[in-house]
Amino acid sequence: MRSRDGVGYVAVALVVAPVVAGGLYSAAASFGLAGAGATGFSVARISAVLTDPSTWRSVMWTLCIAGTATIIATVAAMLVGVRVQGSRVGQWLATASLAVPHIAASLAALTLLGQSGLLSRLAFAAGLTSQPADFPAMVYDRRGVALIVAFAWKEFPFLVLTAVAVLATRNAHLTEVAHTHGADARAVMRRITMPLLWRGIAPAVIAAFAYLIGQYEMAVVLAPSDPLPLSVLTYERAVDSNLAHRGEAHVLGFLALLLTGALVLWHERSRRVAERTLL
Amino acid sequence: MRRLAIAACVGATVAGCARETPPSRAIAQTLAALPWDSVVARARGTTVLWRMWRGDQAINAYVDGWVSRELKQRYDITLHAVDGQGAELVNTLVTEREAGQAAGTASLMWINGETFSQMRREKLLSGPWANRLPNARYVDSASMIIMRDFEQNPEGFESPWGTVQFALIYDTVRTPNPPRTVADLATWIRAHPGRFTHDQGFTGVTFLKSLMYARAGGVGQFQNGFDSVRYAAGRDSVFAWLRSTTPSFWRKGDTYPPDVAAMHRLFANGEIDFTMSNNQSEVATKIRLGVLPPTARALLLQDGTIANAHYVGIPFNAPNAAGALVIANFLLSSDAQVEKAKPDVWADGTVLDRARLPEEWRARFAAIELSAHALPIDSLRKYARPEVAPMYHERLQADWRATIRRGTP
Repeated sequence: MRSRDGVGYVAVALVVAPVVAGGLYSAAASFGLAGAGATGFSVARISAVLTDPSTWRSVMWTLCIAGTATIIATVAAMLVGVRVQGSRVGQWLATASLAVPHIAASLAALTLLGQSGLLSRLAFAAGLTSQPADFPAMVYDRRGVALIVAFAWKEFPFLVLTAVAVLATRNAHLTEVAHTHGADARAVMRRITMPLLWRGIAPAVIAAFAYLIGQYEMAVVLAPSDPLPLSVLTYERAVDSNLAHRGEAHVLGFLALLLTGALVLWHERSRRVAERTLL
Repeated sequence: MRRLAIAACVGATVAGCARETPPSRAIAQTLAALPWDSVVARARGTTVLWRMWRGDQAINAYVDGWVSRELKQRYDITLHAVDGQGAELVNTLVTEREAGQAAGTASLMWINGETFSQMRREKLLSGPWANRLPNARYVDSASMIIMRDFEQNPEGFESPWGTVQFALIYDTVRTPNPPRTVADLATWIRAHPGRFTHDQGFTGVTFLKSLMYARAGGVGQFQNGFDSVRYAAGRDSVFAWLRSTTPSFWRKGDTYPPDVAAMHRLFANGEIDFTMSNNQSEVATKIRLGVLPPTARALLLQDGTIANAHYVGIPFNAPNAAGALVIANFLLSSDAQVEKAKPDVWADGTVLDRARLPEEWRARFAAIELSAHALPIDSLRKYARPEVAPMYHERLQADWRATIRRGTP
């Protein structure tokens, strides 16, 4: 038992140590003590980030885009998950895009949804548009349509996979009891299957949302130049031609960490409250 | 036991990947003072890791193909060119220094302008060594484009590799009569709403900087170091030009393409009528690669376009400075410069003074200029304007991001 604990501690340390080391380095860089452009202890980088309106525009835009994509992917995954749970072909079809790299998905979105993309060309061929600018702007646009679509498309198979796993482990007795009490299939779906599925899938939803907040490869290809997604803003600061601004990238990194940390804490709290209510 | 063996294997692999073969840790300036034969002898049989911008297929093909092959055959040097440019190089070297490693990872870097300035400021470069290379005697030492890197004297801390000049790119079929001055460009943009933009990166800022020169009456206003008063006047003039034209930009100036690759795609797909490049000859290589249509051509605005040189530098912690010196010298050879200048290779401008070269080499350079897509060298020289202090680039980029890009008044 003891040696097993030892292995466990080593494994946890291997996972946690690099994160802690990186966090410490980032903290030092945020205070001007490390990294390119370090000039000695100062809170200038932190105050520059927190007082810059573009930071908060970026945060709000990123939360809206990542949140919308997560909601779409979650709803779609729950609806599809319950229908493909017994079908191997259905599951395979629903999760096939899991293997597509994010950068490939973003290029596919560009090719499909751009103003000179496939849909635009179809619209032109059908006589609906006469030039690329007539087609609605979905790429590089402030509404982030292509980015939302690409984000949702990439998170959907991950959530379907989780949904199928959750449904496979649910307690069949609950459904039987409900049927015995006269519930029809729709009521069972609404009152039992979906709530159970939601509770099982929620940690994966939070993980997907947190991941999208920091997603870079798709954001840099599809996002507008204003507001910038948080990840792109962070990279822009990390390679700023003025060395004095590079430490701000570390501050922005902490901001993203705070956002995702808050999400995880909120989820943990909600879960505990829900469990207590059930007990 | 099995776990230990796996851990050992992973450890050995990581260690093996992380380092190139260091023949010695002698620094570049010490080696450059030795007889050249002994530098070559030290470099023979070694590996050199070269960090460079890897965003252009033609450049990658030249480096990974021809240069790599020739280095192996002539010097038995194995070249590994890996991604890493500008700001990232500075960050990497600072991190390596902070980690206290005696030897870093890369021995050669492709740099210029603000990266060179930052590296000198942060003391991240070895030197001086460049002037001691045997082929340095062929460098065009009369050219201020080559001998001054954004007004900075390289002082032997970087060796010139090539020259480029900013050009707009248009399609002769779509735009048979393109504008040829900044004033005409503004008129053209207003007459063709939604068909012009610039990118957010280095090329876009170079375009804005050339507007700044033109509107202020010439580059002379901004030479001899950074002057905040002159900068503010220049910036305000550029922003006034932008405010009068951006409503007619692509997407009304609400958004800008992230980089020139995105610009080329928008141009090739007919969304915009102009793209741009920091290399006047890029149009030739991009036509060959099928990125741009065959009817695309480069265009120099008569108000002047910015020309600059790019260089290779050796980091302070280069594990194989001897190998890096041999490569830097080889890149300056007539063989390497002619190959690089061919339109079907990279079409990069040479840094050599042809008057100093043997007659047969001069003839080979002259033949290259006859390419169908190449701009006449006389025009290039006539409209070339030098770079100014890196601070102009830094400030213009920051101010453009904070105001024009955000759409604030």
